[in-house]
Amino acid sequence: MAAFMRRVKDRFGRLLDRPATVDLSRYQELLKSIDWREAKLEKLSDEELTETATKLRERDFDEKTMAELCGVGREAARRALDERPYDVQLLGVMQLLAGNIVQMATGEGKTLAGALAAAGYAIQGKPVHVMSVNDYLARRDAEWMGPVYALLGVSVGWVSQTSTPEERREAYAKDVTYGSVSEIGFDLLRDRLATDVAEMVGREPGVVLVDEADSVLIDEAKVPLVLAGSSAEAETDPEVAKIVRTLRPGAHYQRDEDGRNAWLTGRGAKVVERALGDVDLYSGEHSDRLAAVNAALHAHALLERDVDYIVRDGKVHLINSSRGRIALRQRWPDGLQAAVEAKERLRPTESGEVLDSISVQGLIGRYPTVCGMTGTAVAVAEQLREFYQLRVAVIPPNTPCVREDEPDRLYDTVEAKEEAIVAEIASVHETGRPILIGTRDVAESERLAKMLADADVTCVVLNAKNDAEEAAIVAEAGAYDAVTVSTQMAGRGTDIRLGGRDGADHDKVAELGGLLVIGTGRYQSSRLDDQLRGRAGRQGDPGGSVMFASLADDQVVQYAPDATAGAEPDDDGRLEDPTTQRFVDHAQKVSEGVQLEIHRNTWRYTRLIEHQRKVLLEHRDELLTTDLAVTELAALCPERWEELTEEHSEETLQLAARQIMLYHLDERWTEHLAFLADVRETIHLRALAKETPIDEFHRTAIPVFKQIPDEIGERAAETLKKVEVTEEGAALERVGLRRPSATWTYMVHDNPFETDAEQALQRVRAMIKKVKGGSRRAAT
Amino acid sequence: MLSAFRSALATPDLRRKILFVLGIVAVYRVGAMLPSPGVSYPNIQKCIEGVDNQSIYQLLNLFSGGALLQLSVFALGIMPYITASIIIQLLRVVIPRFEQLHKEGQSGQAKLTQYTRYLTIGLGVLQATGIVAMADRGQLFGECPDPVIPDSTVFTLAIIVLTMTAGTALIMWFGELITERGIGNGMSLLIFVNIAARIPAEGGNILQNAGGLVFGIVCLFGLLIIVAVVFLEQGQRRIPVQYAKRMVGRRMYGGTSTYLPMKVNQAGVIPIIFASSLLYLPDLITRLAGDTNSWWARFVADHLTSQSDWVHIAFYFAMIIFFTYFYISIQFNPNERADDMKRYGGFIPGIRPGRPTAEYLSFVLSRITLPGSIYLGIIAVLPNFFLDLTGDGQNQNFPFGGAAVLIMVGVGLDTVKQIESQLMQRNYEGFLK
Repeated sequence: MAAFMRRVKDRFGRLLDRPATVDLSRYQELLKSIDWREAKLEKLSDEELTETATKLRERDFDEKTMAELCGVGREAARRALDERPYDVQLLGVMQLLAGNIVQMATGEGKTLAGALAAAGYAIQGKPVHVMSVNDYLARRDAEWMGPVYALLGVSVGWVSQTSTPEERREAYAKDVTYGSVSEIGFDLLRDRLATDVAEMVGREPGVVLVDEADSVLIDEAKVPLVLAGSSAEAETDPEVAKIVRTLRPGAHYQRDEDGRNAWLTGRGAKVVERALGDVDLYSGEHSDRLAAVNAALHAHALLERDVDYIVRDGKVHLINSSRGRIALRQRWPDGLQAAVEAKERLRPTESGEVLDSISVQGLIGRYPTVCGMTGTAVAVAEQLREFYQLRVAVIPPNTPCVREDEPDRLYDTVEAKEEAIVAEIASVHETGRPILIGTRDVAESERLAKMLADADVTCVVLNAKNDAEEAAIVAEAGAYDAVTVSTQMAGRGTDIRLGGRDGADHDKVAELGGLLVIGTGRYQSSRLDDQLRGRAGRQGDPGGSVMFASLADDQVVQYAPDATAGAEPDDDGRLEDPTTQRFVDHAQKVSEGVQLEIHRNTWRYTRLIEHQRKVLLEHRDELLTTDLAVTELAALCPERWEELTEEHSEETLQLAARQIMLYHLDERWTEHLAFLADVRETIHLRALAKETPIDEFHRTAIPVFKQIPDEIGERAAETLKKVEVTEEGAALERVGLRRPSATWTYMVHDNPFETDAEQALQRVRAMIKKVKGGSRRAAT
Repeated sequence: MLSAFRSALATPDLRRKILFVLGIVAVYRVGAMLPSPGVSYPNIQKCIEGVDNQSIYQLLNLFSGGALLQLSVFALGIMPYITASIIIQLLRVVIPRFEQLHKEGQSGQAKLTQYTRYLTIGLGVLQATGIVAMADRGQLFGECPDPVIPDSTVFTLAIIVLTMTAGTALIMWFGELITERGIGNGMSLLIFVNIAARIPAEGGNILQNAGGLVFGIVCLFGLLIIVAVVFLEQGQRRIPVQYAKRMVGRRMYGGTSTYLPMKVNQAGVIPIIFASSLLYLPDLITRLAGDTNSWWARFVADHLTSQSDWVHIAFYFAMIIFFTYFYISIQFNPNERADDMKRYGGFIPGIRPGRPTAEYLSFVLSRITLPGSIYLGIIAVLPNFFLDLTGDGQNQNFPFGGAAVLIMVGVGLDTVKQIESQLMQRNYEGFLK
């Protein structure tokens, strides 16, 4: 009875404390049987070990097999890497095999645990994709773990941005494939546009194992992967950029406080109209002109060089704000890219249109089995459950963490904060203790590096501008006397060992207190703060962390605009009262809420689009693999088809029919996406008539979608009448139909509007403030 | 419409949701008729028959589906929950901590919901105590000789208060369950159920008092009103808008699907509730003042209180029109809307952003509000013309009239729309063939 009560209490406790987490006790039992096998496995030769692993393929995958796999895996890792996986790592493997998100602290050997789990899935006969955050990590992990896989008889491959289609096809054909989320996503998107089965590189999805799961599944998921292709004409308007450059803020245009929108004032609009030659921008006929002006204004007023993008080799490169690194092959949509190029007086590159898109949820949802690992999962456990139906398993560290996390140090102004940071670095640096400074953007890291140079502290700067060597630099961040300034995620996935990569000065550095991590401000969420802190104190090493923040930080200004200090700052501008701390915490919580809302909103709207895409893709697959195109076109346009059958072989005709149908299907989908984007932009207005925007979005989108198959047929028949058929199929170019060539990805933002109730409330608040202010004025 | 329902029932997921809602509604109705322990059921029935329908609790009674005067387990209905959520919303303006919580997204809002629930319980205790106290002193039914609570010890009274409070908590839970797992908004649906539940009783009343012919006419008339309300509720003026953020070259997309809608009845049911509450005031004042002989008191009694009097009807009508304009001017701010559109790069073709857009919007708004307000007025006063037919006992809270029909149709339309959109999302069958 008592035991039962305890169990009930335990369940309830778990329910209350940690939503969506997993109970580990059952798996701990299994560890014993793995230990017991170890002695026997040690005696096997390498070939025998591989054979043992291969034999597991024929068995049902139950707990016994899992234990055996863990035993074999441990032995393989010991031989291949000279690293015997700890018990906690094997616990992680078992949790991954159970389809959970595993939380393991930094330096606990996630990569190895992930590899063993991937091998476990491969042995079950399922193709495994290991998704990491970037190409470097995908390649490094695949090569690093290669010997382990080899001993287990599992083949492994990797894809990166520079892979050729053949390399990709080969990599995807392996048991385990490593790749970044965007590479795997874009390979899928490109496959979905293939006009020939032989062009496709991927295969049926089986298992996905997500490395840095919170980063991929939550942070990256706010923005869908959008595949764009160059459209026929490049639209640039250098004239508009020139006009916009002369506009002055305040008089001619205005900006949001949060820097998301800019718009022309009445006067500004007049100036632009006169400069463009007396057109009425708002008549509805010059919408394209107006759009160009808006894009130019956006580029001019909201995008800052070295924060949002950098210019290198005469090209604009976007910076991924969540990771502080260059986003390769990424561009801004809707003419904004061209506007930025015009702003920087660069040669315009081709512009494009959205061909297809998929959200991270949609991508992950294709895999029947999903699991993943990260250092910080509990904070997003609720979201992982909501968006992916995943549970979190917390793996205890092998040796407890002894890092000392100091409370925040708060200042009234950014200047005071930065002075204090530099002073702190200088004084700690004198002792030789290594320091890692995490900044929030590229510009901040450069500024700080300059200030440190002025204070005679030599430091290494790690940001989007030299990301080629960042892993090597980060690995040295724990060396004696090292000072490293880094943007948020630079070098993530690389261990920082005390005393440098070889650990030569380990004890000397440990005596000084280990690595000190300094944050120059709160990140968008406390989880990102924790990730930064987690860089210190790996594997029971000593370490410390401290965050600096000020009331003038962007985050505080944006999300807690009425923040005021609760006490007078001291001479250095330091604030040590609880009110200030509360405001800083509050601002971060609001920011977290906003991020979640954006994520949820994106998902609600993309779900329908992805559903429609899925339905259309089934149709597309049929066109691609069967002779449906022939039957449809022959039925739609019998006379012309008759003519063609006399002139050409059946095979040529089948090819031509397929090309025509697929061309129109893809084109129609591109148009549909643009239509949906347009509707999406105004759908919030429906709330004015007390309608639910998301429902109205469905109501608008669905009937239009239902007409698509007929329209494809009509257009295809039209083309068939005109087109010439040659040995290579239909000569579509000759009738002016060109398939998009180069592809890239789009940086997309989502602007969630405030609800009406919210606005009404704000009005009341403004009124009260006015009344209060009025009475105060009257009293004095 | 009917086919929509048929296919809704054919979709397993949707069917489960609809059955779930129906199940909750059934439980809810049982609770609304179940007398609280210690209440004498026969005595209550006697008292209710003799009750004066002009009672100020009439509106409350309507919203609680008649459960209030029955002193049933669910006597308080959904009102405490609604009141609590309104109070919490308003408190956000005064208490900065609440505002901070609201802004902190899901976790903060969950905390606010929790506060709302506590407040609901608090309000439930208060209201239950008030009603029980009044019932105990015989004030609830005016001059009713039979004791409603025969054994009026403190213990019994406390039990009744406890029961009603528990009932409130249960209703709150029902409402949330419907919103979460069923279809539509739980709170509105429960109000809908309450009002709809009065129809048979009131109809029966008419049948008894006025006979079959009148009953038939009233039914027909009620049906006509409902049709008219449904028709007008869906009336919209759609102002086209363009968002020129996107450069897509070749052609314009969105087309007719990007517009700013304005409803004919933008104000909803609020003006009717305002107007009718205000019309009670003079009567209340004269009663409180206690003089019955001044010209004012006589005027009030003859013309304002009597609902079939033309003065009353005219006042009522005029006030509704006034309040419609008043409420819309608070609720819809053309300047802000225009400002918003400007910020995000939107405009109405042919009209410059900023002030000209605001002026255009308010012009359209005032044009559309006139028929809207007249329509509201007519819907609200119509039943008053039939008082002679239906007997004196009926006032405008009669379920076929005014506020009740508007609420019912509004909630009904919303729910059907939701079912429909869920259906559309699921039904792609037959798409490709």
